[in-house]
Amino acid sequence: MKPRKTTGRRSPQQVLRDAISHHPAGRIAISFSGAEDVVLIDMAAQQGLSVDVFTLDTGRLHTETYKFLEEVRKHYDINIEVLMPDPKEVRELVTKKGLYSFYQDGHSECCAVRKIGPLKSKLESLDAWITGQRKDQSVTRINLAQTQEDQSFSTDDHTIVKYNPLSDWSLTEVWGYIRENNVPYNKLHDKGFVSIGCEPCTRAITPDQHERAGRWWWEEQTQKECGLHAQNVVKIVG
Amino acid sequence: MVKKILANGEPCKKCQDVERRLKEANHWAKLDAIVIANENDPKSEGMELAQSYDIGVAPFFIVENEGEIKIYTLFFKFVNEVLKDRSSNSEANKELIENNSDLDFI
Ligand code: SF4
Repeated sequence: MKPRKTTGRRSPQQVLRDAISHHPAGRIAISFSGAEDVVLIDMAAQQGLSVDVFTLDTGRLHTETYKFLEEVRKHYDINIEVLMPDPKEVRELVTKKGLYSFYQDGHSECCAVRKIGPLKSKLESLDAWITGQRKDQSVTRINLAQTQEDQSFSTDDHTIVKYNPLSDWSLTEVWGYIRENNVPYNKLHDKGFVSIGCEPCTRAITPDQHERAGRWWWEEQTQKECGLHAQNVVKIVG
Repeated sequence: MVKKILANGEPCKKCQDVERRLKEANHWAKLDAIVIANENDPKSEGMELAQSYDIGVAPFFIVENEGEIKIYTLFFKFVNEVLKDRSSNSEANKELIENNSDLDFI
């Protein structure tokens, strides 16, 4: 199912409502990271919308995040499907490279096993997913649309739509909503964590730092070597 | 397949790696043509193809199916979807995350 054409900017609540009504039950789900994207679950609950929720348990989350997932499950009286990585792939990775290979080799290999694998499998059973992604999270997200065809996971015979209801909201607006609506939140936020991911790859930041600084801070933004470098011939990527 | 020759005359390392993988998996013969994008020669066929499709990475694959042209810049996606070889699933996932910074925060 292709994304429905819409005109103008819509509120997150409206994007959420339109998304959920556009797809049959069981073919769309909220991807909940266990952080401030809890507002999506709250917005769905406040509007009386029923939608599946899943989360990726990489096996490396903070205890606070596991507790928060449980709190959200109880608070909203919802089921949260917990996706886990393929144990064989995890075993192969950690046997060969140890438990902290991402500090030497970068995070992509471990994230591919612990996040992308299970996410890809889940999305094969869906037509659409809803994320808490926002433009202000990273320079790479400045063009993030409220509704988009998911280029990463769609295939020739299966189009997947990605809804980003919070795309236009700032972090401040998200927190304004959380406070105003008494939404439960991950206690790591009280300890200076802004963007929350896996325990070894997430750290608290100072108020003057961008939230991206709290994730994979040891990695340099490296230049990709595969660009076609002739100037004015083709656009260089990476 | 469009593969690149660097300005210093050396073949691009990633193109060499992709070529090796295709040969090891017996996929090499399935390619209709290998075209060179020479960084020193904007008129080389590969550079012209890159320009016409607005592609800035190498190698890349041009797939024509019933008149419809699709470009693959992700090697393992090409292997999975076009060559129908799913044996390199974890590498395809790694390639996906390395080429989509959007996936960083999931
Ligand atoms: S965030 Fe870190 S621990 Fe979590 S999957 Fe990625 S590399 Fe592995």
